[in-house]
Amino acid sequence: MIITKKALHRRTFLRGMGAAVALPLLDAMVPPLSAMAQTAARPASRLGFVYIPMGSNIRQWTPAATGRISELSPSLSSLAPFMDHVTVLTNLENKNAYSPGNHATANSAFLSAAKAKLTEGGDYYLGTTVDQIAAKQIGKDTALPSLELGTDLLTTIGDCDNGFACVYQNNLSWSSPTTPLPYEAHPRVVFERLFGDGGTAAQRRAELDKNRSILDWVTQDMARLQKKLGAPDRAKVNDYLDAVREVERRIQRASEQEGTGLPEDLQRPVGVPASWEEHVKLMFDLQVLALQADITRVITFQMARETSNRTYPQIGVPDAHHPLSHHTNNPEKLMRLAKVNAYHVLQFAYFIEKLKALPDGDGTLLDHSLFLLGSGMGNPDVHDHINLPIVVVGGAAKTRGALHLKYEQPVALANLHLTLLDKVGVRLDAFADSNGKIEEMLSL
Amino acid sequence: MPCRMKIAAGIALLAFVGASHAAMQAPQRSASTVPSPKAIIDQYCIGCHRQDSSAGLIPLDAYDISNPGAHPEVWEKVIKKLRARMMPPPNRPRPDDGVYNGVVSYLETALDRAALAKPNPGRVETFRRLTQTEYHNAIRDLLAVDLDVSSLIPSDDTSQGFDNITSATLSPTLLERYLSAAQKISRLAVGNAPRTPGGETFILPADLTQEDHVDDLPFGTRGGSAIRYTFPVNGEYEIQIRLTRDRNEHVEGLTEAHQMEVSIDDERLQMFTVAPPGRPQGTNAVRDDDIDIGLHLRANIKAGPHMVGVTFLKKSSALLETERQPYQAHFNMDRHPRIQPAVYSVSITGPFLFGGSGETPSRSRIFSCRPVKPADEDVCARRIVETLARRAYRRPVTGQDLEVPLALYKGENAKNGFDAGIEVALRALLVSPEFLFRVEQDPANLEANPVYRISDLELASRLSFFLWSSIPDDELLDLAIRGRLRDPAILDRQVRRMLADTRSQALTTNFADQWLSLRKLPGIIPDVRLFPDFDENLRQAFRTETELFFDSILHENRSALDLLRADYTYLNERLAKHYGIPNVYGSQFRRVEFRDGLKSYSNRRGLLGQGSILTVTSYANRTSPVLRGKWILSNVLGMPPPQPPPNVPPLKENSGKALTMRERMTQHRANPACSGCHQLMDPIGFSLENFDAVGRWRATNEDGSVVDSSGGLPDGSAFTGIEGLRSAVLNRPEVFLTNLTEKLMTYALGRGIEYSDAPAIRRIVRDAGAEDDHLTALIGGIVRSSPFQMRRSK
Repeated sequence: MIITKKALHRRTFLRGMGAAVALPLLDAMVPPLSAMAQTAARPASRLGFVYIPMGSNIRQWTPAATGRISELSPSLSSLAPFMDHVTVLTNLENKNAYSPGNHATANSAFLSAAKAKLTEGGDYYLGTTVDQIAAKQIGKDTALPSLELGTDLLTTIGDCDNGFACVYQNNLSWSSPTTPLPYEAHPRVVFERLFGDGGTAAQRRAELDKNRSILDWVTQDMARLQKKLGAPDRAKVNDYLDAVREVERRIQRASEQEGTGLPEDLQRPVGVPASWEEHVKLMFDLQVLALQADITRVITFQMARETSNRTYPQIGVPDAHHPLSHHTNNPEKLMRLAKVNAYHVLQFAYFIEKLKALPDGDGTLLDHSLFLLGSGMGNPDVHDHINLPIVVVGGAAKTRGALHLKYEQPVALANLHLTLLDKVGVRLDAFADSNGKIEEMLSL
Repeated sequence: MPCRMKIAAGIALLAFVGASHAAMQAPQRSASTVPSPKAIIDQYCIGCHRQDSSAGLIPLDAYDISNPGAHPEVWEKVIKKLRARMMPPPNRPRPDDGVYNGVVSYLETALDRAALAKPNPGRVETFRRLTQTEYHNAIRDLLAVDLDVSSLIPSDDTSQGFDNITSATLSPTLLERYLSAAQKISRLAVGNAPRTPGGETFILPADLTQEDHVDDLPFGTRGGSAIRYTFPVNGEYEIQIRLTRDRNEHVEGLTEAHQMEVSIDDERLQMFTVAPPGRPQGTNAVRDDDIDIGLHLRANIKAGPHMVGVTFLKKSSALLETERQPYQAHFNMDRHPRIQPAVYSVSITGPFLFGGSGETPSRSRIFSCRPVKPADEDVCARRIVETLARRAYRRPVTGQDLEVPLALYKGENAKNGFDAGIEVALRALLVSPEFLFRVEQDPANLEANPVYRISDLELASRLSFFLWSSIPDDELLDLAIRGRLRDPAILDRQVRRMLADTRSQALTTNFADQWLSLRKLPGIIPDVRLFPDFDENLRQAFRTETELFFDSILHENRSALDLLRADYTYLNERLAKHYGIPNVYGSQFRRVEFRDGLKSYSNRRGLLGQGSILTVTSYANRTSPVLRGKWILSNVLGMPPPQPPPNVPPLKENSGKALTMRERMTQHRANPACSGCHQLMDPIGFSLENFDAVGRWRATNEDGSVVDSSGGLPDGSAFTGIEGLRSAVLNRPEVFLTNLTEKLMTYALGRGIEYSDAPAIRRIVRDAGAEDDHLTALIGGIVRSSPFQMRRSK
């Protein structure tokens, strides 16, 4: 028998599970300097969602005053420097998140506002999430329509929460009711997807030049081939020549761009930082780069997972997050839970600060972005999905102070999603279980 | 709707046909009274197949059966239906076997003769882009680099069941991918220092059970993985491991300390101890986060392909003591938690200290010469690039071909040295359309004959892509360049050589995988509640069993019919336990014959009894006689049913009384709009109802009733169970052999089979009959056939 077992043996490694992952960009496509794909007159909108699990200590989260406020809450205090861009929404509800496995559905309903089909098998069914709806429109001009990131290096399959398939707990972003988009948590892998090998500006320019020369030659080669062929086949070669010309155009654009600069040296991160905070900051750095280079305009980031048991001794919280969130109204636990919330918001503030520091068209990157930070769970002790902790940061600052919208009657989270879509130019009548838009935000 | 009309027309004609049938008694079996083909058709077919019928069937009275060659597209369809005994339908009057054979023989002879007079070898497209598999293999054979290209270039769409059917598009995005891939591959193959440390992260499947020994890893270990990685250069590399965690982010299975070994090419690099986190008194804090942190090492590793092994030392082979039979699968916290820690990912990054390009298979392959002094460089470069280009383009190359790549080399050599120059020249070659596309050109002087013999070079490519899914090797290419390949004796010798070469595994991993739908296996996730004992190990085992089986039929010179009837299979412990076959231990696959003590399992023999096929033809939560029937019609008998009408409602879920599958499908029989097609599919699938949705044998249904596996084939045969199905299919071996030949030919040519190919296919099957229907005889027959060696011009 000729078979060598090794050769026929299934490869024992696989590069990630489930849905097809976006292929890495041609790194020569990354401009040596930052991209200005939009004209100064009409900068493009960016949209993003950052998820924190297991709700919050809502008393520490909710600002005291309502309407235009000059002081944020303790948990949101790190956002004070950007107060003019902050909108806090109180008493939003996500009805479709209620379920027997509501850690899973808190996550899955956060961006979909859809009811997850109760199944452990491959026949899961949810809905298209708001970021993907946006990506279909505002993401069609960028190399990556959207980017899905996380910080947890694990994959689970099977039953994850009382009969719900793990896809619900794992994936925030779904491009269709049956297509979850897995996140990437490895900084190196994210970098490679965005920038390939990276390197200094000179190195990147050299690669662009090489590719240009090669394509030049490919054009000549194809033309020679074309002469040898019959008439119908010549048309096919014309199609190929069109493709070559298009890529040459892209290379040309990439090498021509001037701007306020991506880092001169795009250093590829190699490992995963040991501390969670460093890891999160690195992931945020990559998001900033991706936006700066206009590689994508839609981002979702799962900063921590539902049922996370991460501990935060660095801020004086040695308790695992999940048990801590079952605070049973114990003041000590509530206090520590609020610390965790504030710590998460602090990482988000790090990101916002970077966005604010980057010029973009006639303003800053923050002026032209909208980022929602929040949780799919309200009071984690009872696993409800009402009075969710939600804050939106971004947009041009027109008036002083933050806006705190506090609703007497609960408002559907989907209303906020519908509003955000509107603000980035995607005008729909409804989204999931929405029953209107948030007028106060539309006029911002 | 044709079926409904057919019933109506049939009912209307019943009296007439009945009367005609009564009038024509069974004719005497003597030469003078054997009815003519026209009389047969008139008697048995024209009743429905008439021009003035509105049933939309082929009107056989519109075509002159005394001259079948005038309309082969019609009569080939008739032949197919008659050979399979699908027409007339079993519930209508049918002639005896002798008459069938007579008509078929008459038609085939006439059509074969017509084909000889006016040959039509079909037309393979001028441009065909390499598929992902072909690209991978071409890189492997050109540069001796085995790289996972699925992350570099996208997979291909399938058509007619195969992914190499005239894929000729080239979008700008795809071209960018090829540019990117060329950059990466040329850098890796030449072994120049990477700009920055890079690496790869290998993530093991989440549903991979890791409690037992894994093939390729040493005995005495369990779990983990053996990873083949090509280290780009000599240098210091870091290997980092993360353990699997459950949904609560706790490391799974960690109740006591375990030893984890990291090895390279079976030499141990380091041992790690993985221990449960300490529980400080008085708090409920558990620092799972820290468990992985220490699981990394740095080592100096030489450039080239190596096997990195990450695995745990086996603690005990003692069986679990439980009251219920334990599952084989262990990966889900709620259903079947891991008992011991497992590996989630292995990241290999580097080099952190560049130690030179080293000696790698790819460098040996590329650098056929090495310049001793600077004056030698250009000559040597020309030789290297010329060799690479010849192999990459599958033809002799001219100075004009080499001009620009050598210019690129020169420019880069001046800046960064000889190796860098070679790298950029190689990079250009890998983006050339003559590498990425297979091109077949009509010769210049075609006015005389629209049908021509393809060139030797084109034949060499067809041959190597058929048998190896890769570029020709030097021996084959040289024969073609010298114009010797068309010599039948030489061609035959080459076919035998190529089939004996390990590269012919492509017939198993590329052809058979696609023909037998094995590529669907990764997407199969059975309902975890109904089939909890299903994991990735089983998925892989299904695939390996079928691949090894197909490979044995191919390489042991067996009859193609053995694919259905050979009395053995390949099992490892996991698969054997799944099937309930005793006394098979260990992770390695071995041949198991269904005799002596295992005779009772021989109902599983052949492809039809293998878990892979039984599972890909089922849904996540139940079997589907329809899917199985359709699969067998399409892939075994070559008689695919028509597409379903739009808006067919889904099968109603079982509510209240649990109905058997047969009962739930009564609607298929009751509704005349459905029964026309479903009477073809359902009975086949019913005969396999003893196999559940994951391929296990079952004697009873969910409600405890005995499985009713009575079924039938469209030829009217009725039987019970898989034994009956197999016999019925083997009863008409030429139907299966014709279908297999069609599938092989589709794959070999890269185009769909048309009626004009039927004479060639008949010849191949006939000739193979003289060689006991060997699978290799079918393959040889295809290579000798005119569709393979000739082409019709546009």
